[in-house]
Amino acid sequence: MVTDCETVVAVAGLEKDYGTVQALGGVSLDVARGEIFGLLGQNGAGKTTLVKILLGMVLPTGGAANLLGRPVGSVAARRLVGYLPEDHRLPEYHTGPSLLDVYGGLQGLSRAERRGRTAELLATLGLAGREGLRIRGYSKGMKQRLGLAQALLHRPRVLFLDEPTDGVDPVGRRQIRELLLEERARGVTIFINSHLLGEVEQLCDRVAIMRKGQVVLSGTVPELVGLKRSWLVGFDRAPDPDTRCAGLRLERAERAGLFRLSIDGPADADPDPLLDRFLAEASAAGLALRHLERERGSLEDIYLELAREGAPTR
Amino acid sequence: MNLAPSPADADALPQAPGLLRTAAAILRDSWLEFRDARILWLLLAAILILFVTALSGRVEPQPAGRTYLDLAAKTLGADLTGFDLGKDSVADIVKRLDGSLAWIASAEAGGGDLPETSWRVTLARSVVPLVGKPEDAAAVQERFGQIPDGRLWTVTAIRETTTVVSRALGGQTWEMTVAPGPDLRLLWPHRFTLFFGGLELTPPSGAPLGLEVFILQKLLCTGLGSTILLLVCVVVTAAFVPTMLRKGTLELLLVRPVPRWQLIVFKYVAALVFVAGLLGTLILATWLVTVLLSDVRSPGVVLALPSLLLFFALLLAVSVCTGVITRSAPAAMLVAVTYWAVLFIVGVMHQQSVASRLRAENVGKPRPTSVIDALRGRKPSVDGPQGAGSAFHKSTAGRVADGLYAVLPHIEDLDTMVDRQLMRDFAIGGRIRMLVESPDFSWRSGVGLTLIHAGLALALACRVFSRRDP
Repeated sequence: MVTDCETVVAVAGLEKDYGTVQALGGVSLDVARGEIFGLLGQNGAGKTTLVKILLGMVLPTGGAANLLGRPVGSVAARRLVGYLPEDHRLPEYHTGPSLLDVYGGLQGLSRAERRGRTAELLATLGLAGREGLRIRGYSKGMKQRLGLAQALLHRPRVLFLDEPTDGVDPVGRRQIRELLLEERARGVTIFINSHLLGEVEQLCDRVAIMRKGQVVLSGTVPELVGLKRSWLVGFDRAPDPDTRCAGLRLERAERAGLFRLSIDGPADADPDPLLDRFLAEASAAGLALRHLERERGSLEDIYLELAREGAPTR
Repeated sequence: MNLAPSPADADALPQAPGLLRTAAAILRDSWLEFRDARILWLLLAAILILFVTALSGRVEPQPAGRTYLDLAAKTLGADLTGFDLGKDSVADIVKRLDGSLAWIASAEAGGGDLPETSWRVTLARSVVPLVGKPEDAAAVQERFGQIPDGRLWTVTAIRETTTVVSRALGGQTWEMTVAPGPDLRLLWPHRFTLFFGGLELTPPSGAPLGLEVFILQKLLCTGLGSTILLLVCVVVTAAFVPTMLRKGTLELLLVRPVPRWQLIVFKYVAALVFVAGLLGTLILATWLVTVLLSDVRSPGVVLALPSLLLFFALLLAVSVCTGVITRSAPAAMLVAVTYWAVLFIVGVMHQQSVASRLRAENVGKPRPTSVIDALRGRKPSVDGPQGAGSAFHKSTAGRVADGLYAVLPHIEDLDTMVDRQLMRDFAIGGRIRMLVESPDFSWRSGVGLTLIHAGLALALACRVFSRRDP
């Protein structure tokens, strides 16, 4: 990963209204060069609107956004980006090479560059040998690979990928992940929209979660998954089911003999004093502590927690 | 937050495509889309069948040498200087007689009675005493065979054989050798059959070759053929823009470093280029069939290319504009075809109005009939005054049609200008010739208003497309 901390995507107070509906309500974020940035959120959270503004397809109502210092929407900014939309529909009268030739021409690539890059990408993405096949004969996975090829064709500085592995088999997914990691190593900034949280967790350096047109959480993946505020505890004997401690909830865990102790109170409550008090009370009740483990969260837990109506913003 | 440009990154940025590269890419994309339409191949197959059928035709000249020599003799006595085929008729020739009467005393064909044959002719002329003047051989040589439709015969040798007695009685005779003039074949009656003689398309006496070629070209190209071709092209190209604007496809184009208006304009140009190719092929094939069947090589039909292409450019602009606004191929097709129908109906009504006005202006004058009509025994008649109800140009419908025609694209002008050229080339006269020669129709008004309408529709399409969120 390139770590010169140069900001490639800079968004400040971005707003977009569709009539009376507010799609974005003041989004701000920065993405650095060579970073894989995951954008999560439920349908209608504003992810696609944000990406379309960054690609210059939709005009913002307020705020500012730049790509490598160039205003989004300008021809100069669009020279820098590659895009794979969700549910893309590649024109079916094309073959893979003819489609890449047309899109390459629109990107300003010379004929020789188009030919060389097309052969290279088709081979990398496992589409070699199918050059004569019209796209209408492609499987969904093949279309997805070709979609990725068109996004990478002109060696963009910033890649916007919407569900990049949608419809691709596990082997293909791994190939695509490896390809994206290679692009990152070359200094390409990658912006991923996906509902496949496991994949985002594997790939992304940083993640932002959107809800109702706003970024409600952002940070590195370890930062986010480390935020889970529960422990697995075990004692020499089963605690009294009526054991209570203010602000904590104790319940039987999936693992035999262990209990899950989770914070049952305000989201901003400091967990450590609560744990200390519980352990003191358990000791006072004659329970000897045999096991104590801070539970590691997953992105899915964070996502689901934030997706709950009224969940706090972090 | 860093919103400032990075100087280090300014170098080695990929270049935006130039106009030519953008145009070439969209042209290629459009060609593949165009080629993918099955209906297009069905159309080409149908046109091929039509042309093969036409090539099974036979055109055979019928005996008419003596008739045409007689015609040349009859018109010899008239002063045809300034004769206007569009306005005048055979009856007018009579008014121009100079007091003499000429006839063919004897005629002997050098070969068969065919339009290529030279004749040895004895021409007699009788002058009304005290009115007519003797004619010299050079004048006869110059004027014999020249009729309003063109030159029938050329006198290659002439010798006056008038006796002293004849001259005293006002008579003259000449021995002549006459060869076919440049327009004789076009006016000569031919039998036209299809399927190697199996289907008779003309009366047994035949019809003038020029008229047959005109009808053939109208059928294959300027009329029916082009109508079918353009209709199919409207159907095929109506899907161009809506397909491009589909969700999931549009985003793949909008992300390119190309201004949006270029996507629309080059898509439009690409469609025009392909249709120009098809029209060019149709016109070339028509011309070739004409040459193979009749050996008439007049290239007037080539004028149909700019005329039809301009018309299609208009329909395409309307289709593109509708496609951008509605993003629906059926809507684009429907609006373009409806627009076509409106233009056609208004154009035909305007033509009727012009014809009505010309009739009103020529009340009491003989109806213009072609020389060939006269030869076939159709006597010139006279237009009577029109009743209030029959004067279309004065009726409400006529006035509305003329008003609409004034502001709508002048498609009828484009069509009429092609017909005018073809009728001149093929020596076709009569009332229809009078109509197409009317100064009401011109290239200037046909081209001007059509271009303005097409330009406005395309500009609207670009404006809407450039400002709308996908």
